[in-house]
Amino acid sequence: MAIHPVIFAAAAGDEGNLLGQFGVEWPFLISQIISFCVVAFVLYRFAFKPVLSTIDERQTKIADGLKYAEDMKAKLEDAESQHKEIVQKASQEAQQIVNDARAVAEDKISQASQDAVSRAAEIISKAEQQIELDRKNMLDEARSEIARLVVATTSKVLSKELSEEDRNRFTESASSNLVDSSN
Amino acid sequence: MTQDKQIKDFAKQLLKMSQDGSDVSAERVDGVLKALDKNPPRHHIALLKAYLKLVQREVAKSTAVVSHAGALSSDATEAIAAELSAKYGRAISTVTREDSSLIAGLRVVVDCDVYDSSVSSALTSLQASLS
Repeated sequence: MAIHPVIFAAAAGDEGNLLGQFGVEWPFLISQIISFCVVAFVLYRFAFKPVLSTIDERQTKIADGLKYAEDMKAKLEDAESQHKEIVQKASQEAQQIVNDARAVAEDKISQASQDAVSRAAEIISKAEQQIELDRKNMLDEARSEIARLVVATTSKVLSKELSEEDRNRFTESASSNLVDSSN
Repeated sequence: MTQDKQIKDFAKQLLKMSQDGSDVSAERVDGVLKALDKNPPRHHIALLKAYLKLVQREVAKSTAVVSHAGALSSDATEAIAAELSAKYGRAISTVTREDSSLIAGLRVVVDCDVYDSSVSSALTSLQASLS
């Protein structure tokens, strides 16, 4: 197997010749290094740095957005819990109001029922009193009418049936009584 | 003093002049009326009305109106007049009237007093007691 001349040169320690054999020229290499550094600096200064800055800014924005989203999520959860609490509290208050209203309505109904009963009793009592009064009035009227009829009938009968002799005797007797009663 | 008061007082004076003792005398009343006719005072008509009312009242005081159903003897009438005269302390004359509505008995009215012994008054009392 054949040894490559370059390796052979390195092994031989002929460094200057070796670089020369690779075509490396020191001035040219140095100038390239300088050019590379200049280019690298320019690129870093005017390309990489703004890009990195933009990337950092966007990362910051993303991080802020994520943080904002987390905050919003936490606030949303708080709001939901508060909402649930408010709804529950409102439900309890509504139930309490319904219970109170039901109790008041029952009281009202009970009171109205008692009033109706007492009013009915009063009406019945008044009706009974009125019936009794009407009955008494009717009896009084009947008694008066009967008395009137009895007296009228008696008057007619006496006027027709009383003889002249009886009438004269009664008148004389009345006259004597009048005189005697005065004495 | 009002005009009515004056007329009443004048009528009372005329009534006193018309009385003979405690009784109203027809002759004195006639004399009073003639005097008034000759010398008519003011408010002549009103005075005569007041005088008439007083005379009627005085006559009613001394008159017993006896209403009766059936015959009433003169003796009974005189007895009633005597009894009433004794009771009121003045002479009471009687005026009799036939009243068939009494059915039987009699009713005597002296001024404002009424003595009723008729069948109709008894029936009226009966009706009042039954009513």
